[in-house]
Amino acid sequence: MTGDTHYDLEILAELAEGLLDAATALQVREHLAVCDPCGESLADLAAVREVLSATPTPAMPMGVALRIDRALAAEAESFRGGGVGLVEAPAWDDIMRDAPWERTSLPEPELEPVTRLGVVGDDGTVIPAKRRKAARRPRWAMPVAAAGVLAAVVGGTVVTSGVLSAPGAERPAPTAPAVIAAGQGYKLTDSNWNYTEQELSGSLLDYIGPAQIVDAKDMSAGVKLEQCVQQVSAKVGKSPFAVDQGLYNGQDANIMVFWQNQKKNSVRVHVVGLQCENLRKPALASWN
Amino acid sequence: MARAAVSDADLLTRHIAGDPHAFSEIVKRHRDRMWAVALRTLGDPDEAADAVQDAFVSAYRKADSFRGEAAVTTWLHRIVVNACLDRMRRKSVRPVADDELVEAAERDTPVLDQTAEREVSMEVSAALKLLPADQRAALVLVDMMGYSVEDAAQVLEVPSGTVKSRCARGRAKLAPILSHLRNRSDLSRVSSAKGAELRDG
Repeated sequence: MTGDTHYDLEILAELAEGLLDAATALQVREHLAVCDPCGESLADLAAVREVLSATPTPAMPMGVALRIDRALAAEAESFRGGGVGLVEAPAWDDIMRDAPWERTSLPEPELEPVTRLGVVGDDGTVIPAKRRKAARRPRWAMPVAAAGVLAAVVGGTVVTSGVLSAPGAERPAPTAPAVIAAGQGYKLTDSNWNYTEQELSGSLLDYIGPAQIVDAKDMSAGVKLEQCVQQVSAKVGKSPFAVDQGLYNGQDANIMVFWQNQKKNSVRVHVVGLQCENLRKPALASWN
Repeated sequence: MARAAVSDADLLTRHIAGDPHAFSEIVKRHRDRMWAVALRTLGDPDEAADAVQDAFVSAYRKADSFRGEAAVTTWLHRIVVNACLDRMRRKSVRPVADDELVEAAERDTPVLDQTAEREVSMEVSAALKLLPADQRAALVLVDMMGYSVEDAAQVLEVPSGTVKSRCARGRAKLAPILSHLRNRSDLSRVSSAKGAELRDG
């Protein structure tokens, strides 16, 4: 195979992996010695390995890690037949949550079976994670706080799940009815979280669910935000159910979350800047 | 922490014996690597999150089926990779032609102003997505995660030669799409496995 004919990439890749029989390998090598295009192809193949090995792989996002911890806690719970010895009273709120007569009075989606995470003290008591103050926190505060919560959950999966779902343990925040301003129709929060592209395509409940609920009336830019929400709503054809004030890749941003398919917990996310400009192509994410 | 000295196999034994914290420790140790494998194999964070969750729950349940003939990490990888392959099969990805590959890679290249590293990462993801599942899984383990062909063969439960040939065919398909990234000076030289080592100390 000389002259105008060349070996295809697959043969060259097999040569590089030592998969060719000796005779064929020799033939290809002889050709490579005189054929520049095939040499280039071989270099392209080497580059694939190089590019793949140099592609950074991100760490597991906090939201996914928490989700897995919850799933394993639930697994431990069912395995142990309901957290015997840890829960003083049955978690009636959780047990009856799906009862048909309970349904009508429940505001969704705040009543997802997501317990507000707390920190388990040395004596086994649960200290609920603190509500954040309305004042803007330093930007590093959230990851640190979240890491603390995660460590507690990882260290004591069973304990946290058992105790936290008990009605005796104080379960603040997300289950409390959201403060919804008249005519606003959505929950406005101020997580101040710096969202990444990846987080915005994952589950947003972990970020927005526990965030501080704020009232647009208390904000200097409240009217402007309200107008922006209306503007985006008009484009989408419906109102968002959650709007979170945070950042996107370091830039101030409002994250507007619209139901795409509520049964499947799928949501559509619009990320707009302070001037109501789109910062990111609207895309789907989940809410579970 | 005293736990740091405990081996994965010991942790698994403790978990089977009823230690409620042992499995969490295993998860904590390996979740980043499992995430990386799932994310690169599936190319979609939602799917990857579901696959890794399914895998860890499944490992939790069938811990006593671990025979100890392989490392715990190999066993975990196998469960994660199988969870990913199951998902891909359910979606029945059809094989694509070469020109489609190039087109799709161009289409999936982000238009937003993103760092070069992120762009490369997106491009690689998009390209990998177009490979058949078995080739993708082999390339993720060997070329991206830096495992030896033998380790990958154990994870995938196929002979080493099969892993080599899947890698070769996968690379041959990716070469035309990724060749323009050759000798990019802004490309990070730190491989994922090395990066994790550096980070985790």
